Amino acid sequence: MSMDHDSELDDLEFFQKHVSDRFSDLLSSTIEDPSSEPLLSIAWLRKLLDDFLCCEAEFKAVLLMGRDPSQISKPPLDKLIPEFLERTIKALDLCNAVTLGIDAVKNLQRLAEIAVSSLEQAPIGDGQVRRAKKALSSLVTAMLHEDKDGGIVKGTERNRSFGRRGGNNAAANNKGNFRSLSWNMARNWSAAKQIHAMSSNLYTPRGGESTGLAMPVYIMSSVLVFVMWTLVAAIPCQERNGLGTHSPFPRQLAWAQPMIGLQEKIAEEWKKKEKKGSVGLLEEMQKMDKVGQSLIDFAESFQFPAEAEKLEEVKGQVEELAEICTKMEEGLEPLQQQIREVFHRVVRSRAEFLLVLEQAGKLSAPPM
Amino acid sequence: MDSPPPEKLPFSEAEKIILRWDSTASEEAREKMIFDGDRHEVDRYLQAVDEIQRSISSTSLSDDQNKVNSAVQIAMARLEDEFRNILISHTIPIEADSITEQDQEQQPPSSSSSSSSPVHHEAAIDSNHVNDEANKLFRFNSEGTGSSVSVNSSYRSTSSIREIDLIPSEVVYDLRCIAERMISSGYLRECIQVYGSVRKSAVDASFRKLGIEKLSIGDVQRLEWEQLETKIRRWIRAAKVCVRTLFASEKKLCEQIFDGVGTCIDDACFMETVKGPAIQLFNFAEAISISRRSPEKLFKILDLHDALMDLIPDIDLVFDSKSSDSIRVQAAEILSRLAEAARGILSEFENAVLREPSKVPVPGGTIHPLTRYVMNYISLISDYKMTLNELIVSKPSTGSRYSGDPSTPDMDFEELEGKAPLSIHLIWIIVILQFNLDVKSTHYKDASLSHLFIMNNVHYIVQKVRGSTELREMIGDDYLRKLTGKFRQAATSYQRATWVRVLYCLRDEGLHVSGGFSSGVSKSALRERFKAFNAMFEEVHRTQCVWLIPDSQLREELRISISEKLIPAYRSFLGRFRSHIESGKHPENYIKYSVEDLEDAVLDFFEGIPVSQHLRRRSN
Repeated sequence: MSMDHDSELDDLEFFQKHVSDRFSDLLSSTIEDPSSEPLLSIAWLRKLLDDFLCCEAEFKAVLLMGRDPSQISKPPLDKLIPEFLERTIKALDLCNAVTLGIDAVKNLQRLAEIAVSSLEQAPIGDGQVRRAKKALSSLVTAMLHEDKDGGIVKGTERNRSFGRRGGNNAAANNKGNFRSLSWNMARNWSAAKQIHAMSSNLYTPRGGESTGLAMPVYIMSSVLVFVMWTLVAAIPCQERNGLGTHSPFPRQLAWAQPMIGLQEKIAEEWKKKEKKGSVGLLEEMQKMDKVGQSLIDFAESFQFPAEAEKLEEVKGQVEELAEICTKMEEGLEPLQQQIREVFHRVVRSRAEFLLVLEQAGKLSAPPM
Repeated sequence: MDSPPPEKLPFSEAEKIILRWDSTASEEAREKMIFDGDRHEVDRYLQAVDEIQRSISSTSLSDDQNKVNSAVQIAMARLEDEFRNILISHTIPIEADSITEQDQEQQPPSSSSSSSSPVHHEAAIDSNHVNDEANKLFRFNSEGTGSSVSVNSSYRSTSSIREIDLIPSEVVYDLRCIAERMISSGYLRECIQVYGSVRKSAVDASFRKLGIEKLSIGDVQRLEWEQLETKIRRWIRAAKVCVRTLFASEKKLCEQIFDGVGTCIDDACFMETVKGPAIQLFNFAEAISISRRSPEKLFKILDLHDALMDLIPDIDLVFDSKSSDSIRVQAAEILSRLAEAARGILSEFENAVLREPSKVPVPGGTIHPLTRYVMNYISLISDYKMTLNELIVSKPSTGSRYSGDPSTPDMDFEELEGKAPLSIHLIWIIVILQFNLDVKSTHYKDASLSHLFIMNNVHYIVQKVRGSTELREMIGDDYLRKLTGKFRQAATSYQRATWVRVLYCLRDEGLHVSGGFSSGVSKSALRERFKAFNAMFEEVHRTQCVWLIPDSQLREELRISISEKLIPAYRSFLGRFRSHIESGKHPENYIKYSVEDLEDAVLDFFEGIPVSQHLRRRSN
């Protein structure tokens, strides 16, 4: 016997409220205390994923627990759930793509670490500066938008040793290295297209449907799309050209306000960077880019011995870069593991929903 | 060419050599590679590098230190390029055939199922299966899997891992020389980067040669299962080569170049090289393991499961460092998902058998396609029983015993205590098949045909079980006896349904007129009897000739059984009463058939051929 109508309503309302609360929290953490978990930092993303897992668990409970499973196979859920499950497939691929992208970010971290370790040596001499410059130029080149062939190479091309036929130079190789690490998804696979497909058939339930189970499905779908979109905006992964920036969520939805707020902030950043050609909005990467450029400038104008003032300034920047590397060192691996957990959870939920649907005979019977 | 033992090179000399080869400074330095040229040149350069390194600790003046550090950087940058160049130009290109498995992959023997099966299948018993049965038994005899697996795995993997030389050994020496110097100068990161990027391209190229595709999970969901079967087969072959030869060889190369040069550097380089490709490789198997479940997928999924299980010891061996945890974990996760998928598919299959909804009665009451499909399927299951016995550990959950639910059959699992869960599943499948067939039999308008249908199908089940040693052993003679009883019962029910009323015409009662000394057989009643018998028999004959009992022995047995009741009854009836009819008008209207006629007619039954054809044949 399923729950009575009143407690069922509470169930759905709570879900809605919790979603809203969590994203509200995520939004406010970027405003109130931006230094601890800046928007799109590794720590913030990990919080985002934690919130996603909570929403997902609650969603499953709302839909499956204590409820007559055949409710899931009745209209309109008989169409909405399969659509939701289609989105989860895309989400799984996106998880894989983002994980590969994080490997690419690890690579950037290693390049930065070269620069840090060489500039940490005192006194800073020509050798260290050249070494740092080489690494930083590869870093900065790699951060350029993946689709701009050849890239807008900042500074000189002298960061590579020399060019042999076949592009045997450090920059191209590091960029190639970068590409070959991330771009291991199927040919023609595009993160932007996947996100677009996920959100294209997302319709707000209207009228009578808005009070039934269609609403939590819509909410969860929205959360899924938002989380995936955010990950893709932050982490470089295959083919993000054309990533949509307008909000797919109607403004009048109360629970969606925090999410919309976040989405607008991120979209703004994205649009800014897209013009310059940036590979990812990950906060640590953005900082790395900035500090890296600044250090390259220093390197280009360097003459031994440097002035004490300059050295002081550089010391601060190197420390900053070192801190970013530490954050990456400590946070990227756990982030990958979290994404893997999201992957597992989505697979499991998917299997559970499929089972319920199949038992209700709503999916096409297997051919016999 | 042996150069004389190098004397200590003065710093200025060393510096000159380093600067001469500064590729940022001169065209000439850019065009030539040191290690491509004169051996003497190589030795001199390395000596120069060593000297510069030595000078780091001995200089004190900051100006000199700057010079030294600068020279170090130039040398390291140069060595990095040399390193890259050596790696690229000396990579032995891998030929696909040189790295394919040496032990032949036996072509899977096709199963002994009937050709009319609608299912595409292969009893893909890999050669590994057969050869490693002994090993498998050893592996799973003991309680836990942990320790006994590792004990066995080293034995197995030494025979299955096959490393090859990716780079000639004299070249490895040069690489080592460079690596040592780069690492001792603190340029470890650059070294790993260069190594990783070049080797990774090589691995990517090998992947392409092996035909390993990059497919997204979405792609895999969309493809037709038949296409996926081919890809799975290809993947199994490729994965073995990748783990046992490709990855193992890369690991060996890392060890050759970096072992002893620093702690865990060879691990770092190895992971840099193969982590991405390994993940890409396993992603396909993972995509298969999460695809939607449907019965036809079972056997290929079992193949994939077994192949991966086979590879796990090698994976554990090749990816034995802490940094490669995630790969081992992923492989184990995929294996467990495949097992889960297999269990789910079996469950799904059982559901599908129960729910199979076709209502169109099979003409002639013959074998239903569902029966053939199911028996072929469980026959294949018995082929895979080694693996499935390990994966299937619980009794069927569908089916509530004695639940009173009319849509599922009842079954007492207690009497099957002591049987392996897989065997119980097989029996359960046969139970639900019969349940479904019973429902289908109700769609025949003629009750006799319903019984015939059940008799045919259950007999087919019995024949199939009897015909396979594995099936017979798993299902057991007890249940086989039950099945035999069922089809015999159906035969009896058929006879009762058809022949009781026919034979009723030939009864004695009601024919004798009571009273009077004269013999008193009611001629009119007798004439009615004969007419009724003829009409009924003709009806039955016409109808049931078209029915079919495919099994010739069963057909014969039933005909004989019919004859045994019909012929003596008719003979005796004729004998007693023909004189009464023959003494009246038009006896031929009433005594239409001789005993021989009836005997011949019975032979027409259950051939699936209409009466007209029989009569035509007889008249010729």
